[in-house]
Amino acid sequence: MNYPIWYVPTFGGGLLIALVAIVHVFVSHFAVGGGLYLVMAERKALHEQNSSILDFVKKHTKFFLLLTMVFGGLTGVAIWFVISLIHPAATSLLIHTFVFGWAAEWVFFLVEIVALFIYFYTFGRMDDRTHQTIGWIYFGAAWMSLFLINGIIDFMLTPGSWLTNHDFWSGFFNPTFWPSLFFRSFMSFMLAGCYGFLTATFLDDEQARHKMIRYSGRWALVSLVLSVPAGWWYISALPDKARSLVGGASPTIARAATVAAFSLAALAAVVITMILLNPKKARTRVLTVIVMIAAMGYMGAFEWTREAARRPYVINEVMYSNGILQKDVERINQEGFLKNAKWVQNKEVTQVNQLEAGRELFLHQCFACHTVGGFNNDIVVRTKNMSYGAMQKYLATIHEKRYFMPPFVGNEAEMKALAAYLTAGLNKKPLTDDAATAGDRGKKLFEDNCAACHGVEVLKPEVADWSKEKIRTALDKLPTLNPAMPDYNAPAADKDAIAGYLHSLNNPGTAKEPGATLFEDNCAPCHGFDVLRPKVSSWSKTKIRTALDKLSALNPAMPDYTGSATEKDALADYMVKQAGGEK
Amino acid sequence: MNPASLIPTADTLAAHWGWFQFLLMLTFPLHLFAMNAMLGTALTSFLCYLRPDRSCHDLSHELAKALPFLVAFTVNLGVAPLLFVNVLYGHLLYSSTVLMGLFWLAVIPILITAYYLAYFYDFRFKKLGNSGMYAVLVVLLLLMTVGFIFSNNMTMMITPASWVRWFSTPGGTLLNLADPTLIARYLHMMTGSLAVGGLFVAIYSSTVLKHNIAVAETGRKMGMQLFTWLTALQVLVGTWFLLTLPVEVMKRFMGNDKLDTGLLAAGILLAVGTLIAGYQRKVVAATWLTVPLVYVMSFMRDSVRNGYLTPYFDVTKVPSSVQWSPLIFFFVTLVLGIVVIVWMLSRLKYIKKAS
Repeated sequence: MNYPIWYVPTFGGGLLIALVAIVHVFVSHFAVGGGLYLVMAERKALHEQNSSILDFVKKHTKFFLLLTMVFGGLTGVAIWFVISLIHPAATSLLIHTFVFGWAAEWVFFLVEIVALFIYFYTFGRMDDRTHQTIGWIYFGAAWMSLFLINGIIDFMLTPGSWLTNHDFWSGFFNPTFWPSLFFRSFMSFMLAGCYGFLTATFLDDEQARHKMIRYSGRWALVSLVLSVPAGWWYISALPDKARSLVGGASPTIARAATVAAFSLAALAAVVITMILLNPKKARTRVLTVIVMIAAMGYMGAFEWTREAARRPYVINEVMYSNGILQKDVERINQEGFLKNAKWVQNKEVTQVNQLEAGRELFLHQCFACHTVGGFNNDIVVRTKNMSYGAMQKYLATIHEKRYFMPPFVGNEAEMKALAAYLTAGLNKKPLTDDAATAGDRGKKLFEDNCAACHGVEVLKPEVADWSKEKIRTALDKLPTLNPAMPDYNAPAADKDAIAGYLHSLNNPGTAKEPGATLFEDNCAPCHGFDVLRPKVSSWSKTKIRTALDKLSALNPAMPDYTGSATEKDALADYMVKQAGGEK
Repeated sequence: MNPASLIPTADTLAAHWGWFQFLLMLTFPLHLFAMNAMLGTALTSFLCYLRPDRSCHDLSHELAKALPFLVAFTVNLGVAPLLFVNVLYGHLLYSSTVLMGLFWLAVIPILITAYYLAYFYDFRFKKLGNSGMYAVLVVLLLLMTVGFIFSNNMTMMITPASWVRWFSTPGGTLLNLADPTLIARYLHMMTGSLAVGGLFVAIYSSTVLKHNIAVAETGRKMGMQLFTWLTALQVLVGTWFLLTLPVEVMKRFMGNDKLDTGLLAAGILLAVGTLIAGYQRKVVAATWLTVPLVYVMSFMRDSVRNGYLTPYFDVTKVPSSVQWSPLIFFFVTLVLGIVVIVWMLSRLKYIKKAS
């Protein structure tokens, strides 16, 4: 809201960050682990006085220089460029909080560059001891870069006591700092070992090749084994909500975890096979390529999980993914979002600008994660099952129902405008409040609020010629109909529902089956019936009804349905009918 | 729409703004020196192809070897001032960055291409023969394109009036081409950079390449020629740039602000001095005059930014919440880093001549 949005509808920013970040993560971790691998392998070659291995290390260094210095260095700058473009508010907050951490990291970057240049260009031209020292300086500086960036990245997931004291060191040495540092260090050593594997297979000297394959294999295996408890420590240091997301409450993480498990298994299996079996066979490049892909899969899944675990925040419990500060939510809900936003043209919602205001709300609150007609998290597909009324209800409790979604921030008119844009604007649905035709809720509200004075049978003929809109308008100014009648101060959605009910008294065809409304309000945001039908078509009504009592048991990502038993019965009835009748 | 209403709220500073200003003004010229050396090296290496003698060819090869180092240090030394600009002016910079997102991101693939091409040019210099000329020319053009993208962002971030275009073009495809200062400013930067780059070639030839007398002499001569002619041209381009500035900004340098007027006077005096040193081919004197000149120009550039931002933003008014220990940690790291770098460089004198 504070910044403009880079709006490319089909290509969301999240995907761009993920692409650049994943590439940089591989290269930067490789730069750290590879630094240690180089000096250790050089030491081995010097110790054994093996010129083949020394040549191997030198060639390795050249590739290392070209990959880490150019590609690694510039993709690091690229991440900075991309996040300031996609998450300017969060980038600003991070930079203002950790500027001196970043500045120190720049110093280590400079030391790294100088050390790596000297290490490469003086290979074989400097005395061994000094050359090794330069190598150690390179590794030390690279690892310190990891140390510093690790603190800032983990701050985003677990700000810890910084939330209350705003102290640099509290934010830096946050609850996941140490486990993450260990995990990342092992990961970086593992990547270097896997890369050593791949390049060692190109060694012509057979003896040296065998030695380096075994050497790299041990690197990869030991690091891999050590990374598992570090990963476990990391997960156990997460706050409850993030841990439950990691535990399966986030569909994104569930997929990443599967990738990680398969990658880990494949990696371990191939590495062990290659060490234990005759290394001659390890020259088969297919195996070494599998190792690289599996290692990247493992690491990529970890990064994906870490990113997803802090949702709906970009900085946990501080700033939501859309750049809105958690502390501002209550105030903005009172004052209105548009009034507080800088980069909007519609400062308040009117009947004329509803769709346009809705579009601006979408841009500032949803586009950070959703594309429009794109291939990543497409909002049009995600909302296609929802009616205008259902969307309003969904937006009202979006964060409560699905923790990883940020809450809608703004006043009621703005919420309606967003709902209108998402349904009428994007999905060309009618702007009629389906909830209004819901006989069940409208009836209940009528009984609670009106029936004390008005019997249905008395009212029915009075509104016989009234359109639904007329009834709805009347509910906004009841005292003008009859000064004795008090104003009905209720949310617009409730008034819509009563209007729908009263209208249906004389137009019975317009009343919707209760189960249908309940389904639209509670299930359709995530499940279209066309997707659900094949799953439940073989289920009995009892089975469906029982499942509705404990939805989270079916899938941890699904919140339990909190409605009454009667509502669950109605839902089960509706679902059975939709699925093709009672089995 | 009032453009001022679009300016995001600046975040709280972690130290007094003066610290960041000091660090910005300290590190930005370092980036300029590296960037100038990089561009001058690429240009001279290219120009060498146009002269068929042997020493020119060898000079071109030596410069090809130096080019990847210079790209690396230009990038690294660019990170620090960009970080401090982010701290002081981030809210303005991010806004203009979003407006030109596509071009801003293009900086990365352009730089990666230029960087790899520079290595390719270095490692394959002999095999490339005369076609190396095209390789280094492409490197030069790509790097100058990056400069153009930066000039766009740096001018757009200080002109919020141009931001309203976002409402009709939100896809990150905007540049600041309508700004009357843009082209003059860019050419001013490039002319100055290539001139100082020429001086770098002269220094590099007279020191690192001194073992080969013919190459050293050619490098020194070509470098100083570039330096002198481009500095002379800069007098015109610089004046043009000054005249394109909005009147109220220009007047800061014409007596309205004593410090800025003093800076301009110092700049002119230093420029005249460098021209004389250049004509006399005095490398050391030219260097001693150019280093302060680049700092003076950086301060003037900062003044221009402040002049533009006067109606919208005052960096001295941004609230700060000071914590000293991270600042001290950084300075200690910086000192230790410099000590380690100096130690590593000192080891170079012990390397064996041949591998």
